[in-house]
Amino acid sequence: MSKIIEAEDLTKVYPPNTKAVDHISFYVDEGEIFGFLGPNGAGKTTTIKMLTTLASVSNGRCSVAGYDVKNQQSEVRKAVGLVPQEAAVDTGLTGMENLLLSARLYRIPSATAKEKANELLELVGLTEASRRMVRTYSGGMRKRLELISGLIHEPRILFLDEPTLGLDVQTRTLMWDYIRGINKERNTTIFLTTHYLEEADSLSERVAIIDHGQIKVTGTPSELKSELGRNLLEITVSTDSDLTRAISSMNGFSEVKRTGTYTYVIGMPKIEQSLQGVFNGLTKLGVNVTDAKLEKPNLDKVFLNVTGRSIRDEVVDSGDSFVARARAESARH
Amino acid sequence: MISETWLLVVRDLKKWVRSPAWLIASLVQPILWLVLFGNAFNPTGMIPSFPGSDSIKNSILQASFGGAPNYITYLTAGMLCFLVITWATFAGGPLVMDRSLGYLNKLLVAPISRTAITLSLLISSILKGALLSVILILVALVLPSGLVFSPSFGVVDLLGIFAALTLLSVGFLWLFMILSVRAQNFETLAAVGSTVGLPLLFASSALLPVSSMPGWLGAIANVNPISKAVDIIRYLIIQGAVSGSVLTTVTFDFGLLTAFVVLCTLLGVVVSNRGLRME
Repeated sequence: MSKIIEAEDLTKVYPPNTKAVDHISFYVDEGEIFGFLGPNGAGKTTTIKMLTTLASVSNGRCSVAGYDVKNQQSEVRKAVGLVPQEAAVDTGLTGMENLLLSARLYRIPSATAKEKANELLELVGLTEASRRMVRTYSGGMRKRLELISGLIHEPRILFLDEPTLGLDVQTRTLMWDYIRGINKERNTTIFLTTHYLEEADSLSERVAIIDHGQIKVTGTPSELKSELGRNLLEITVSTDSDLTRAISSMNGFSEVKRTGTYTYVIGMPKIEQSLQGVFNGLTKLGVNVTDAKLEKPNLDKVFLNVTGRSIRDEVVDSGDSFVARARAESARH
Repeated sequence: MISETWLLVVRDLKKWVRSPAWLIASLVQPILWLVLFGNAFNPTGMIPSFPGSDSIKNSILQASFGGAPNYITYLTAGMLCFLVITWATFAGGPLVMDRSLGYLNKLLVAPISRTAITLSLLISSILKGALLSVILILVALVLPSGLVFSPSFGVVDLLGIFAALTLLSVGFLWLFMILSVRAQNFETLAAVGSTVGLPLLFASSALLPVSSMPGWLGAIANVNPISKAVDIIRYLIIQGAVSGSVLTTVTFDFGLLTAFVVLCTLLGVVVSNRGLRME
């Protein structure tokens, strides 16, 4: 598989010295769905902006669809589609008009554009609404239109910045289906940012977790889970005497923590044998297990492990290009 | 670049036509100004009627108001210019909105020229201004003691009027486009536009003759590009340009106005393209 995006030490500094993205290196394979995961203000949108030529690259290099983002901007622009976090469609136009405008801006002849627009509208179930003003659309309809408005010129890579932000669960699941469909049927590479772990887990083949402008880990969701997450067994026992030593002396349970008078949390590498081992061992000691809860690793754990637990203020990369720009501008003057 | 500019012009005009409040306001406003200013500032209206007052009024119009048959005829040139200046002030509004809503990113990521984005707003503003100017002229014609064209007024003069209006609006359009490209919100644009618009009008020959102004104001009015456009249009309306001495004056004013436009355009294109470049 060839690499359609390759970034090396990609850095964005907003003046005077806000490092929004700090020497990140990663690649995206052609045809995959790549999830860019991170808390608010981590540098996700800024990265997308550099990859789509909206922001200049302060340092490092990056190629998108084989073109250099610094020197071959117009080629990059033709190869990519962008669905920004904010309005990607004009609410004062109809759905159809929005698509045709997008298409014509990419010099697609109007007959072809109409054909493509109809096909895409049908894909996301907006055929009937296509003659209505977008301002009459519901949030979900608008997101669907935004999704296909980035596709009308058949880009090789589609950038989706928080595609399901603020959508209800049903619409979100529907959007996921569309995104998968676009990826499979059109073989469009998809680069998506999200701070919904579930979304990255369910859609992406590979994930990078970015925080404070730096990539913390990269890998498939299952790799990350097995590397960073562990199975945690929480048990409640009938006795109040300290069993920490007894449990940790059992085979393979070095990590034991007493979390209450009757409760312990045990880290375990493999689920099946370990469960058996714990219960057998405790029975031998004459201890009754009254409750047990097994927590399997999930991306949430990985995420919190990597990014810490504090809530982030949305600063540089709030997706609000406005804030970032305003800061950059005011700093410049 | 032409086709993408036109696409964006069509987008802007569509939205204008579809927003009835905006459309009606832009139609009614110039008419209100013409009627209100036309009555409030009418110098001959300030003279009470008495035997022989008509001849005094006529000599005032003759001496200070360029020989206009009435004040509205004099004022029409000023109001036409005010109309296009007002449009120029807010022409960048859609750009500011696109930026704050995020749609601008969608345009910037498309393989189109940056100039197409600003130029489209310029063109659509000129088109709207031209349409509203025609309406303003028609209304001025039907007002009581309204606009009277010189008997020698012809098609060339009409084209001259629109040429002067276009030049004036292009100049101010680029100036305000610089602001729009840098403005972070619509309020900035509205604040500057509404603060600058009326003073520019009063400090020009649009409402009253420069000769009636105190020296300092007259000096400002004389270098105000609005005065140049107003003078051209006024000559064309009241006298027709074809006669000798008037033609020289009009040509000279056109020259000054063109210089103003060239300067503003160079500045505008460079600065606004910088404002739209990458973060």
